[in-house]
Amino acid sequence: MLSWIAFSAFSAIAISFSLGVVFASNPIYVILCLLSVLVAIAGIFFVAGAEIVGAIQLLIYAVAVTVFYVFVLTAVPWEKALKKDSHYRVEGVLSFPLLIALYGQMIFTFLLGISASPKGEFKRLISSFGSTEVVGGILFSKYILAFELVSLVLLVGMIGAILIGRKESQTYDSP
Amino acid sequence: MIAVILIKVLIIVALVLGLGAFLTLVERKFAGHVQRRPGPMVVGWHGLLQPLADGLKLITKEDLFPSMGNRILYNLAIILALVPAALVFAVIPFGPEFSIGSISVKPILTDVNVGLLLVFAFGSMAVFAIALAGWASNSKYALIGSMRKAGIVISYEVVITFAVMGPIILAGTLSTYEIVQNQIQQKLWYIWVQPIAFIVYLFAMLAETGRVPFDIQEAEAELVTGFTVEYGGMKFGLFPLVEWYVEVLSLSAIAVVLFLGGWSPINIPFIGFVDPLFFLGPFSGFVWFILKLSALFLLTLWIHWTLPRYRIDQITQIAWSVMLPLTLVNLVLTAIIAPLIWR
Repeated sequence: MLSWIAFSAFSAIAISFSLGVVFASNPIYVILCLLSVLVAIAGIFFVAGAEIVGAIQLLIYAVAVTVFYVFVLTAVPWEKALKKDSHYRVEGVLSFPLLIALYGQMIFTFLLGISASPKGEFKRLISSFGSTEVVGGILFSKYILAFELVSLVLLVGMIGAILIGRKESQTYDSP
Repeated sequence: MIAVILIKVLIIVALVLGLGAFLTLVERKFAGHVQRRPGPMVVGWHGLLQPLADGLKLITKEDLFPSMGNRILYNLAIILALVPAALVFAVIPFGPEFSIGSISVKPILTDVNVGLLLVFAFGSMAVFAIALAGWASNSKYALIGSMRKAGIVISYEVVITFAVMGPIILAGTLSTYEIVQNQIQQKLWYIWVQPIAFIVYLFAMLAETGRVPFDIQEAEAELVTGFTVEYGGMKFGLFPLVEWYVEVLSLSAIAVVLFLGGWSPINIPFIGFVDPLFFLGPFSGFVWFILKLSALFLLTLWIHWTLPRYRIDQITQIAWSVMLPLTLVNLVLTAIIAPLIWR
């Protein structure tokens, strides 16, 4: 009962603020709406008992990602941030079929996932071990190759960022 | 069951806000004696009622607002600062489990098994409050201060996350309550085997809470008072309350949980615990927790009132090129000693 109330409250918050993300014209309100949506989704994860996913949602999406949006916005001149004619309207309409396809794929994967574990085997695992241990176990046994590849990609990305962001010893401006 | 939870929430909220206000007096007396002056002496016995007088003054002040600022965000920033800082206390265990009659009570609001991740998620949410406060004030001092502070918080959030990795590996869990339990079972405070992590954690704690030597976001000489410069009255009062008291308290409590064995008495590594406060019976755990917490808080004050401050580039330099490598070294050392401790 209590969890249903919490779930509907979080869902209502998530849906209403995602409308705000789409329709608000002031970019800083858009970012705040996005933040609210992400926090509400973390709340839904907590209600569902997926504590590790909720905590990571908070830590990575609600903090690490959104902070950089706020940073960019506070550093950009205000007239530029409010400009509306730079929105890619034609491209947006053109990419719509792709978006539909992506959503279709998501729904398909979701249905596949339901039929993959009909007996709720993961639920039993989680109740006996705790969700952190289950996630760790699966990452380091079944998905070890994907996990290592992703970490390699991230390492490459990090090295690239350091290379781009380093201080040049000699620039074109220097005599 | 719900009644127990409600009582816990009430106690924590009262503790956080009431104690936070009272700690202003502790800080002023401490600073006074560090600088060889008595501190507040007029209101009440040795200034004991000073926090009340300060609060009254702050509440009755005129509410000023910068003319070109954004009023919604300006007020929202205060809430965004207060709420995550107070939420951290939800996962802090204050003492061992006890029972009143037939109800057994854990003195922790929610013992989630990812407690530590939540602590750092809420801790970094302070960035939003700071960035918004600086931006919505429409003042260059406020904006510079908030950008500096946000940069510091982001750098040290990485460091602090790596620093706590050592104790997490040794305990084998992310739940704050069980980390303390495991230290009691292993008869070992993790500070004995994680001294590097502890020192790095202390540095990061000072940086995140804007204490000297990392209080560059205030830097009175150059920025007036940084991102709070356009706030007045109680709205101004809440920012130092949150940063300097609530956050220092919560991060110190996490340090006590991770490194100093929570509510356990004095530890002799691998042999056992010595409890000079045994005569307190079931209360001794709580008293030990409070003693350790106060010791860390006073250490913070001591550093604050004796050291000068770093420059902003030095602060980020320390974070990325000294602290982060140190935590990585500590991680390798932990991996070597961990099997000895797990046994």
